[in-house]
Amino acid sequence: METNNRNVKNEIAEKLGDEILRGSLGRFAEAYPAARAKAYENVADIDALREQVRQMKISTVADIEKVADKFEAEAKKRGAQVFRAKDGDALKKYLLDLCQEKGVKRIVKSKSMASEEILLNHTLEDAGLHVKETDLGEWIISLAGHKPSHMVMPAIHLNRDQVAGYFSKELKREISNDIPMMVQVARQNLRKEFLVADMGISGANFGIAENSAIGLVTNEGNARLVTTLPPIHVVIIGYEKLIPTIKDAAPILRTLPRNATGQLMTSYMTMTAGRTPLMVKQNGKWVEQDKELHIILLDNGRLKAAHDDKFKEIYQCVRCASCLNVCPIYTLVGGHVYGHIYSGGIGAILTALLNSQEDFDKINELCIGCRKCVEICPGKINIPGLIDQLRSQTVKEKGLPFGVRMVFENVLANRKVFHNLLRLASIGQKPFTTGNVIRHLPLFLAGMAKDRSLPAVADVPLRDRISKITKKIAKPSKRVAFFAGCNTDFVFPETGEAVFKVLQDLNMEMVFPEDQSCCGKPLLGMGDREIAKKIAKRNIIAFEDANADVILSSCPTCTETWHETYIDLFADDAEWKKRAERLAHKFREFTSFVSESYAKAGRLTPAAGGTKVTYHDSCHAKRGLGIYKEPRALLDATPGYDLVEMKDCDKCCGMAGAFGIKYTEISMPILKQKITNIKDTGAEIVAVGCPACMMQIQGGLDKQAPHIKVKHIAQLIADKIKE
Amino acid sequence: MKKVCENWKQAFPTENVGEQLFSEFEKRATGAATELFRVKTAIEAREIVANLAKFTNAKKVVTVESPLQEAAGICEELKSLGLQVYNEPTDIAEHAETADIGISTVEFGIAESGSVCMDGYAFESRLVSMLPPIHIVFMNSSNIVLGITEAFEVISKVYDNGYISFITGPSRTSDIERVLTIGVHGPSRFVLIAIDEEVAGGAM
Repeated sequence: METNNRNVKNEIAEKLGDEILRGSLGRFAEAYPAARAKAYENVADIDALREQVRQMKISTVADIEKVADKFEAEAKKRGAQVFRAKDGDALKKYLLDLCQEKGVKRIVKSKSMASEEILLNHTLEDAGLHVKETDLGEWIISLAGHKPSHMVMPAIHLNRDQVAGYFSKELKREISNDIPMMVQVARQNLRKEFLVADMGISGANFGIAENSAIGLVTNEGNARLVTTLPPIHVVIIGYEKLIPTIKDAAPILRTLPRNATGQLMTSYMTMTAGRTPLMVKQNGKWVEQDKELHIILLDNGRLKAAHDDKFKEIYQCVRCASCLNVCPIYTLVGGHVYGHIYSGGIGAILTALLNSQEDFDKINELCIGCRKCVEICPGKINIPGLIDQLRSQTVKEKGLPFGVRMVFENVLANRKVFHNLLRLASIGQKPFTTGNVIRHLPLFLAGMAKDRSLPAVADVPLRDRISKITKKIAKPSKRVAFFAGCNTDFVFPETGEAVFKVLQDLNMEMVFPEDQSCCGKPLLGMGDREIAKKIAKRNIIAFEDANADVILSSCPTCTETWHETYIDLFADDAEWKKRAERLAHKFREFTSFVSESYAKAGRLTPAAGGTKVTYHDSCHAKRGLGIYKEPRALLDATPGYDLVEMKDCDKCCGMAGAFGIKYTEISMPILKQKITNIKDTGAEIVAVGCPACMMQIQGGLDKQAPHIKVKHIAQLIADKIKE
Repeated sequence: MKKVCENWKQAFPTENVGEQLFSEFEKRATGAATELFRVKTAIEAREIVANLAKFTNAKKVVTVESPLQEAAGICEELKSLGLQVYNEPTDIAEHAETADIGISTVEFGIAESGSVCMDGYAFESRLVSMLPPIHIVFMNSSNIVLGITEAFEVISKVYDNGYISFITGPSRTSDIERVLTIGVHGPSRFVLIAIDEEVAGGAM
């Protein structure tokens, strides 16, 4: 476990102020998506390829013991020693004993994150061994005394001047900051190390059970030297890298380099199986002998994860680190704030499972659930889903902080109390707000909105406007029950009014079940599944009683909570699961339902243009529900709007529920970029399909571009419907 | 010289292999900074190697032989130009570190990625490909498979133990400020000579 007294907020503030880090990460984040896309240009079906990786890994982990046994047997058959290390200590002991027995003094290493994970180098050095990392990035950070800040590019946080400084200090002469020169300096210095090393330690990108070959994917060529020149080769490989057959390496190699660095293949892909021949000089003569091979299979939490129904998913990871490259948080703060060795979303999960849950707890909020990573992960890992799972594990074991729990139990779990408090807030906020803003709900109630103000609670919530906005429809085509969610009910009731207008215009009957409350997502985001269950049950009862053909929401997050989370919450409760499923089946997101209804009515046809409008994709709509064509089709079909696309239209606005409030300092730069992209389009209106994005973008526009308005699509359509 | 497989060609697939994939292979290989020359005969290849040796002012060459290289008469040519040429395993072990050029032959190319597959069972075959700053490889231009999947179908048939590499261009790094820099621990130049002429014994 890392130091207990970490102040993550201070560390983040420091990283956000680090111009070098921000520059490198910013440029990289900018260039990465295009580089990756280019690398996949000759793959016909990327999704099918990812599915191939996923399926292969799923079937492997289901049989991990057998696969490991086979790998071990085949390795032994080919002369290797195999050691299964249950943790870092066991591995270190084996290795130190081996070094002593063989008289090893000098070791060269090629990159192994597993060895970083257990802080192996410290142990070896403390035992008096001369250890050299030979991957350039790893060498640099070992000189700097840093931990890797990225799995693939460990020294991305340093610039050329800093590297030149570390080189000068190490080599005790002035090294200029010319990059090709520095690379040559590294080559010359490390070449000597390869030639005299007694032992080479490598990691492995995969290990093949069929013939015990290990595969190494590198660009520099250091892994080839590490596995060829020294007379002893030690492989450190985690169980999750095992694959059954030689052919199974193909889907990994078709995705890993493309995703990691935008290459079709790295400069070198090396496979070595069994003891390979080696020549050594004895008494001035070269003689051939077999290289000694030791393979250490590292457990350190991996086997436990393999048998966990949810966490076995980490076996689908190929360690390409592309989830870091697209993460709005990682690309702002870099890898070091993640505390241990692994960084980014997958890193947070690996830290929890392979290191300690305590380390995870400190950083668990650094995922905003935007799912950019899920879209590109070669193994299709649901990273935000696993992080949610880990959070709820912590809450289950330790409970929420007292104040938060009090609020959740006594306020959120009781609709009347919660809604009364919101009404009070609409009055009570007045003396405390500047202009028209107050803290976010329902989180402000939990004392989490310290640094930041957000749109005010409306004077009259939607629920008190229902009688005024509900029209009597003589022969309705459908009965539609509206689920508002907190934001639409209490902050943006105008959106709710617009929804009623649009649906009634479609000759549908609108009803508003009074007993509805928060969908429960904020609780789930904090990991509290028990209170979330209570709330879900009440909502389910309220909507069963509404007896509607369709349940509609203008919030993608609420929609997804109903579609997936409610069902998942009741996984162990057959009756409630069935009830949740029955309603989920009827539950529709606004733009998807209306565009479908318009299409049926022959109304989804392009209309005359006018005002420039740009559309911001909410993370939950685009990547959660797969809805992004529908809102555009609706804008296109509504007279008076010209849709212009902004850059990175589907990148998170930085709100992400509680995150935008608690980590304002990270949320703000993300928002700022979003506003810049909006301004660049020249649009007068930003259309959104999500009230949380609306809140965030409105806050940003107020400051940076007050002439641009943000509106929910429902309002844009309703504005054009004649009374 | 011992190899992972004595006859790789026998393991080639019946479809998705052949000379028709060369242009795609060429595009991807040159895209990865491989210096690629395609020639009709082994004799033409000799000229390319001789010119490279002259232009780079090379003094010492280590080479693992193959029928393709022997047909091109590489050793004789380089010796006649006054270079020190080493092709015996123990000589290669002694001189690879100080050689200017390493020469060897690869089994096949992969059109999808522009990679070549090298049988590195023998220690000396690895040394010539790793230690000198320039690595020249020979290949038959019809030995191209469509993709990485096909490459692994081939490997799957022949691979029991030993060392196999894909090489895709020169050694490179982007570890400092993500600036692409060529030639870290491996060769800074990777030269591929693809020969149309079929030589008895081919790449073996």
